[in-house]
Amino acid sequence: MIEPVVDIKGLSFTYSGSAVPALVNIDLQIYPGQFLTVTGPSGCGKSTLALCLAGFIPHAYPGKMEGSVYIQGKNTRDYPAGGLSGIVGLVQQDPEAQLCTLTVCDEVAFGPENLCVPAAEIQERVYSSLQAVGALDLIDRQVHTLSGGEKQRVAIASVLAMNPALLILDEPTANLDPFCTREVLETLNDLKEKHDVAIMVIEHRLERLLPITDRMFLMEEGKMAEVDSTTKHINVLSCSGAMINRTWSRENIVIDADEKVEGPPFLMVHNLRAGYEGKDVFSDVSFNVYPGETIAVMGNNGSGKTTLLMALLGIIKPTEGNIYLQGEDITGQKVTRRARNMGLTFQNPNHQIFENTVFKEAKMAARFLSERDYSETETEVLRLLQEFELQQYQDKNPFTLSLGEKKRLNLVSVLAYWPRILILDEPIVGQDSRRLALLLQALQKHREEGGITLMVCHEPNVVAVCCQRVLFLSAGKLVLDKPIKEAFKLIKQMKMDEYLPSGYLTDMDGKL
Amino acid sequence: MVKSSQNTIYDKALSAVKGAFPGLIYINNDSWLHSLHPLVKLIMLICFSISVFAAPSWLGGTILLILVLVAYHLAGLGLTFFYRKLRFILFFGVFILIVQVLAVKEGLLIWQLSLGPLTFSVWSEGLLGGLVMMLRFVNIISSSYLFIATTDPNRLAYSLMQIGLPYRFGFMLITALRFIPVFQQELEQVKNAQMAKGIDMEGLSPRQLIKAARYLLVPLVISALSKVDFLSNSMEGRAFGLYIERTYMYSQPWTSTDKITALLVPAAFLIFCIVLRQVSVG
Repeated sequence: MIEPVVDIKGLSFTYSGSAVPALVNIDLQIYPGQFLTVTGPSGCGKSTLALCLAGFIPHAYPGKMEGSVYIQGKNTRDYPAGGLSGIVGLVQQDPEAQLCTLTVCDEVAFGPENLCVPAAEIQERVYSSLQAVGALDLIDRQVHTLSGGEKQRVAIASVLAMNPALLILDEPTANLDPFCTREVLETLNDLKEKHDVAIMVIEHRLERLLPITDRMFLMEEGKMAEVDSTTKHINVLSCSGAMINRTWSRENIVIDADEKVEGPPFLMVHNLRAGYEGKDVFSDVSFNVYPGETIAVMGNNGSGKTTLLMALLGIIKPTEGNIYLQGEDITGQKVTRRARNMGLTFQNPNHQIFENTVFKEAKMAARFLSERDYSETETEVLRLLQEFELQQYQDKNPFTLSLGEKKRLNLVSVLAYWPRILILDEPIVGQDSRRLALLLQALQKHREEGGITLMVCHEPNVVAVCCQRVLFLSAGKLVLDKPIKEAFKLIKQMKMDEYLPSGYLTDMDGKL
Repeated sequence: MVKSSQNTIYDKALSAVKGAFPGLIYINNDSWLHSLHPLVKLIMLICFSISVFAAPSWLGGTILLILVLVAYHLAGLGLTFFYRKLRFILFFGVFILIVQVLAVKEGLLIWQLSLGPLTFSVWSEGLLGGLVMMLRFVNIISSSYLFIATTDPNRLAYSLMQIGLPYRFGFMLITALRFIPVFQQELEQVKNAQMAKGIDMEGLSPRQLIKAARYLLVPLVISALSKVDFLSNSMEGRAFGLYIERTYMYSQPWTSTDKITALLVPAAFLIFCIVLRQVSVG
């Protein structure tokens, strides 16, 4: 009989200061070489479970723990935080924040160095773990020059170098574009097959994880249940974008690709070029936007999507080209003036929260930008908070919200002054299926009122449901500007399969 | 290339700070001085600094200044670089000289100028004392600056840890360096988010300015704190602090030039100081 890597018996945990337990009576055995996927709505206890397995709970986080966690037969209570670090490796959500040295080589060597491994063996481990994640070519790079996907792979390698028996990854693909996502998941699959490491991935986005998963778990309110592999598709997909695609698509993909939009364009972008410090990020970008359009902006990380959105609002001044709003040239107009017509939310919600309560934060932008009077704004904000399920947090500090809640709050604060154009940078990150539906409903409503949405979105399933047009950027050029049906066809021809909705290649082909 | 928000108050403040401390950073060049072992350069800096105080004459100070200038040249940085980066320091040095000349009235009267009721006089002790002080000031700062400009901080930290600096201190430096670009980027993003929310930084009253500064600091501090959480988990999770000792994948190599320099430099400075003492006593 093989000994399990992890043996959890009756584990419950309540953070001190919280009335609700984060984990309730969890039993779990993990054996070498198994690939586990754990999913569930935000706040269900997934990350807490990861902290328990890595031995940070009960040592580094105050709270009440019942039951026991054995890692290779060792009780985590008997080891200090970090004491199990040679056995369990934890890769957390934000790769940026967990790289602590200046070069890739130092970073990967960091763990084994701390374990006092002899120099010659460290070198071997650095090479083999960088090779395992396909990042050997990065070895001499400076950490701050890496892209998001590269950082993620270096973070994984730096944990692998300690030869863990169990590797835990908390939302490893949350901030990655579809291309990097595929790279990271292929890396994980390789590890499972060639290195006999037990892997546990905590993730919202499941479509691309399912094929490599051995065991699937659902968590809700601290409880954990294994999903039978024969039924997993039905139960589990409800947590991901894919299910939404299947239920929503039948009813809602009513977009006629040949539909000609009437009237003059609301926004015209002509021959735009912009960049940083003399280096162009994108150039020769031209497109028109008509009232009532929802447009997806797609492309790999670094292709210029975010820069384009910022140039539209004027945060970055274009070096060439013009932007016209309702026929008027606004290229030189002040950002704060443009912001009345264009509401921009950024990728990272933490950078755009300024007030100390959710309610104040939600109405702040409207105070500067809305022409409506004060009480009217307040009623509207209250309504929006309700609509986005944030009303119970009204008086809480917005920084205590979860990532998904913060993103919804950002959207509320923009919707509160009803800009005609919404510019959203990855609005759906961190949303579970129910909240995603809420969000899409709100966008739909905005569209029906004649509003325009430009949205960077890495989830082709969501794009398929709510967008009519796709702008695809590649290396700073607008390579595709087509209605959605045609766009997916062309993306398929471009062999960018990771940008197609799941199932597109098989059963969606005819329907879309 | 014009970047936006150039005239906001933050940018003004930032460029003022940058102006006062011009580019206190490592400059990656390929020179003899750059390739020296960081610890050898540290030994050189220490010897130099001791000599600055052990050589209490304007002659010694001048020789040391010439040495620094030669070193700047050898590092491939040159005199224009020296002047451009250390303008403020040079200006301040001259200011010290002037104050000394005006304040000290001892020794021989060298020069006198009468303007009606006012009389300006320059005395030898004032002039020489001022010169010595100015040279000391300029020498200490310009040599430290040269050390920073030619020494890769990462290599320095690893070298120090390998000769016995507790590794916690070494990694304090490394992690700080690691997060400087991260926070710079975040500052930029927060500024952008402020503009998108319609916060206008132009034409604000002082009270509004304080509020606006709060809008800048709060997101930055919160983001820094959350990063600290992730970072400490990540480092502890990789056994940081588990043992008192740690090993290193690469030991910083000592070339024969390094070894010879490490021996010759202290000897040379010792001789320099002794000779100078003899000269000034004689």
